[in-house]
Amino acid sequence: MSVASVPFSFSRLSLIAGNTFLEAVRQKLFNFLLLLAVGLVASAQFFREFNFGSSELKFISDFGFGALIFFGSALTIATTAQLFFSEIENRTALTLLAKPLWRAEFVFGKFLGVFAVIGVFCALTIGLMMALLWHREGQLMDIRPEDFANGRLIAYGDLVVVGVLQWLKFGVLAAIVLLIASFSNTNLFTVVTGFFVLVICHLQYLARDAWGNVDNPLVGLVVRVLGFVFPNFQLFNLADQIGQGAGVSPIVALQVAGYAVAYIGVIGGLAVYSFRNREI
Amino acid sequence: MSPSVSAISIQGLTKDFSVTLRGVKLRAVDALNLEVAEGQVYGLLGPNGSGKSTTIKIILGLLDATVGDVRVFGVPANRVEARRNVGYLPEAPYFYRYLSGRELVKFYARVCGVSGATLKARVDEVIDWVGLSGAADRRVGTYSKGMLQRIGLAQALVHDPKLIVLDEPTAGVDPVGSAEMCELIRKLKHQGKTVLITSHLLAQIEDVCDRVAILDRGKLIVEGSVLELVGQRDRQALIVDPLPEADLEALRGWLAARGHTLNAVEQPRARLDQLFLSKVSRPGRPGGASAGVGSNEVPLDAKP
Ligand SMILES: Nc1ncnc2c1ncn2[C@@H]1O[C@H](COP(=O)(O)OP(=O)(O)OP(=O)(O)O)[C@@H](O)[C@H]1O
Ligand SMILES: [Mg+2]
Repeated sequence: MSVASVPFSFSRLSLIAGNTFLEAVRQKLFNFLLLLAVGLVASAQFFREFNFGSSELKFISDFGFGALIFFGSALTIATTAQLFFSEIENRTALTLLAKPLWRAEFVFGKFLGVFAVIGVFCALTIGLMMALLWHREGQLMDIRPEDFANGRLIAYGDLVVVGVLQWLKFGVLAAIVLLIASFSNTNLFTVVTGFFVLVICHLQYLARDAWGNVDNPLVGLVVRVLGFVFPNFQLFNLADQIGQGAGVSPIVALQVAGYAVAYIGVIGGLAVYSFRNREI
Repeated sequence: MSPSVSAISIQGLTKDFSVTLRGVKLRAVDALNLEVAEGQVYGLLGPNGSGKSTTIKIILGLLDATVGDVRVFGVPANRVEARRNVGYLPEAPYFYRYLSGRELVKFYARVCGVSGATLKARVDEVIDWVGLSGAADRRVGTYSKGMLQRIGLAQALVHDPKLIVLDEPTAGVDPVGSAEMCELIRKLKHQGKTVLITSHLLAQIEDVCDRVAILDRGKLIVEGSVLELVGQRDRQALIVDPLPEADLEALRGWLAARGHTLNAVEQPRARLDQLFLSKVSRPGRPGGASAGVGSNEVPLDAKP
């Protein structure tokens, strides 16, 4: 007897993503995100007294991106692990996976749901930061018009581009956390390992710089393999280029985005592979 | 589809769990063979830890068999296609507490591919069917145990599966609720569905099941139709008005003259659950088909 096969379905995938997002909304995670974003950006205001003129704007932008990177990473790890394990620990995964549904749809659905949540956080933080910069820039333009002879200094378009790239980087991180969660038994283990991997991803370029050119071919190989296995999160830090020279090059931005998407695809695939064998 | 295909076919199923780091195995199911024919209500019984839930999870592809072949309507249980025709209510079910009952059933319906015009009708139909209409717009997080079992049954039925697997659907449910659950299972049977059910309430299983299997430590120890297993073919009961002693003697004589004996004279007693059912009222539920929900719910604007 043959039963019609069940094709991979993007609509089921987006149903799960939507439900994951809804969980974050209804469990009041967003109230927290909003508070965090407002708090972060508002705290940049404390430094107003420095009144460096246009360099004050640079400071606000650096501060904003620093906060986005730090809190965004923490939030990505915690949210991904939480939204995944709430499904396992409450045994709702049992009911869901007993439906005609591919485990790949489950894993990528979870991923997209988390990715959307982080997207909201990034949009909030960047949006608020841009509003603050715009406002402050307007004030400074009145106080010291000589600094702004050629109009506004801040490249707002570049801010958006860099924000999107950070969001993609958090996507890579979320995929890594899902991969860890797919075989881990506890939320805590997942979060701790996730932070560990985050640090490696941020610092691996140091290892490459220090040992990549050592004569010992074995060490060189190990370093290169590590640099390949762990994505280099330093690549995403284009914030320094904002407002300097030609600004953020669209080609570089696209390359970095492609780098992120490739890692998300591969790591997500590994997560599906590992989750397929998991006993629920 | 040929009628010879069983709804569930289990051959030589063994399931080991590794329970320690040193690889010590625990055998949860041991060389189990089981056939559930289409249209049957099949009871899977056994003490705690005898492997009932494990067997069910393997049927649903949630666990992989260590050894053995498990098929659902002829399709290997670990394939996604096998779950097309199956509805599942897990034991002690727990659902997304942030959704309302209706949203929950709708979510599962859409996951199962119910869509378009039929979606809303089907969702309303199953919610009504399990008697939860009154509470469908409340958050699942506020539901009582009995209501969780009901919403769980609704989500299991929403895509109109041919096989329904219920793991302890009456655990934690009051006698009224579990009698209603049995009634629903009977209705499913009349609709031609196959039902696999586990329960510790043997009286209920006996009332509702066609066949039962008893597991002990993962091994099948008894299997057969309920009638075969517990029917006493060599006995018959007559129920009469109270007889005076003299009449009873006369009856004994009458029977003895025909070569029969009167084995026992006893007063039939109503079972306690029947008494409970007749005494406990659920107001506002016409026809006695109470919902186990909202019976003491008062609209906020109602004046006493
Ligand atoms: N994931 C698991 N890992 C290790 N052992 C398990 C796992 N799941 C079940 N077991 C063991 O397998 C055995 C059978 O468990 P199972 O849940 O199937 O029993 P059951 O018949 O459903 O019992 P109950 O009536 O209590 O629900 C038990 O000894 C249990 O401890
Ligand atoms: Mg059980």
